[in-house]
Amino acid sequence: MSGKQRVNDAVVGLAVLTVTVVVIAAVLWLNQTSIGDTSDKLYARLRDVGGVGVGNEVVIRGVKSGRVDQIALGDSGWVVVRLALNDNAPIPSDPVVLFASSSLFGEWQVTVLSADGLPKDRELRDAVDAARGAGDTLPGALLPDIAQLTAVAGRIAGDVAEVADRVRIAFDDDAAREMRSTIRSLADLSDELQTTVRKQSQNLDVVGADVQRGVKDLSQAAALIDSVARRVDASTNRGEIALIVSTVQAASQELLAAAGQLRTLSVDVGRTQVQLERAVANADSVFTKMNRGDGTFGLLVNDASLYRNSDSAVVELRTLLADIRANPRRYFNLRVF
Amino acid sequence: MTAPAKVSLLARLGGWVRAGFEGIGRGARFVRETLRAVPDTATWWPHASMHARVLGVDSIPIGIFIALFTGIVLAMLADYSVGDLVPPYFVGTLVQKTITMELAPVLTGLALAGRVGANIAAEIGTMKVTEQVDALETLAYDPYAYLVVPRVLAVTLMFPVVVGAAMVVGVISGWLAALWLVDVSTVQFFKGVRLFFTEFDVRYGLVKSASFGTAVSLIGCYAGLDARGGAQGVGGAATRAVVLSAVMILVLDAFWALVWLTGRTLQ
Repeated sequence: MSGKQRVNDAVVGLAVLTVTVVVIAAVLWLNQTSIGDTSDKLYARLRDVGGVGVGNEVVIRGVKSGRVDQIALGDSGWVVVRLALNDNAPIPSDPVVLFASSSLFGEWQVTVLSADGLPKDRELRDAVDAARGAGDTLPGALLPDIAQLTAVAGRIAGDVAEVADRVRIAFDDDAAREMRSTIRSLADLSDELQTTVRKQSQNLDVVGADVQRGVKDLSQAAALIDSVARRVDASTNRGEIALIVSTVQAASQELLAAAGQLRTLSVDVGRTQVQLERAVANADSVFTKMNRGDGTFGLLVNDASLYRNSDSAVVELRTLLADIRANPRRYFNLRVF
Repeated sequence: MTAPAKVSLLARLGGWVRAGFEGIGRGARFVRETLRAVPDTATWWPHASMHARVLGVDSIPIGIFIALFTGIVLAMLADYSVGDLVPPYFVGTLVQKTITMELAPVLTGLALAGRVGANIAAEIGTMKVTEQVDALETLAYDPYAYLVVPRVLAVTLMFPVVVGAAMVVGVISGWLAALWLVDVSTVQFFKGVRLFFTEFDVRYGLVKSASFGTAVSLIGCYAGLDARGGAQGVGGAATRAVVLSAVMILVLDAFWALVWLTGRTLQ
């Protein structure tokens, strides 16, 4: 073997070895494989591990405390998972293992927690209880991931869509029109009620004001009565009531006497009334005769020539009187002797 | 179209088909002769390390150079693509997956197809046109054992080494780019790298690159041994080797994806 060939061999060997070591180391580091592993091992069993794979994180109280070391199918439909926990990682009392999706992007993790801290989900607790009883192997359960939740949500959405379809079928155009009409009627009724209520409210305001005023009057009356009562009480105390009573008695006696006089007066008035009726009847008879032209007054009233004669006699008398004033000697001849 | 023209067209079509099958047959015969020569270790073993160094070790800087810039670009491209829609650690996931499974093998393979394929084709082609191959046969050397097998084995072995180095450098450069250019922390980046990392990713890339090495070296040797004439024939052989190698790398890339990734889902 020549020297050049040896150099080639060495260079190639070094290159191959270096790259191989680097690649293997990188793979081991990325896989989080620990050589000379001294971690604590925990075993859990459950029916289905979901998306959990070897290398996924194991967390205790939210702190990364290890990783999934191995997953194997077990007896009777169980899956046995080996967890490699960091040294001195604290295990909670009555531990159970939950396998769950940790994000929407496909990350899964395993949580070791106390059975008391399990979510209050009946199916989950049943699954944990069913996984108990395998010695040191911890009971485990799988929480549904987002895909399963989405599937359930999809079914719910389908049901809602079906109900919506049924409502759409039941609620046709006629129903819509009737509904609109009903709503309109309700609106009118509401307006009327509003108007009525407003009016009644105004009436009630008035009544209220009246009542308030009445109450005030009553209050004032009560105060007045109270005042009167006080005065009465005071008057009673000073003997004024007795004086009033005696005065009233005297007044009533005078009233009694006045009543007797009124009674007498009324008798006289009745008598005078009879005389008046009689006088009126006589006058009526006289007037009747006068209207008929009987007697002197009748003629005087009804005969115009008598009036004219009387009038001319008066005129002549005035003329005579005027002539007497103007020429008294013509008529009066005064002689003393 | 006249009857003679129709006959001529059919004859040409038949000639193409026959040439195609002849090429496949010659290639199959070439592979068979190579396999037959593998047991002749006494002939090829002394030369294997020299070819491994020339074709493999000396190609590592090229692979590293390509991976260096590919990792940087991928980190920035991943950040640009995912934006605020997904957590930033997915930059690490995208860089790791893309580098180890696709870009490191394919880009390095294409680059080495030019370097290694052309080198092999030109070297053997020159020997062929200068009748050195005939001289070897005269001296009772099996040209396949002497020329082809050590090159094919060396390149098949060294391609994964070059690609492995490119994978490591690509992820590291992607990490540095994410750290300095994209503002993704180291913890976040490697959380993303580890999130969906499986050793299958590396195995897939390395096996693929080994197949690329085999294809490139076989095509280079075949093109060299098939060289005719003088320097022009050697140049044509080198060109054919590069073109065929590049095409074969892409075909094999699709082939491995169909074989290994169909029906396989990431957990």
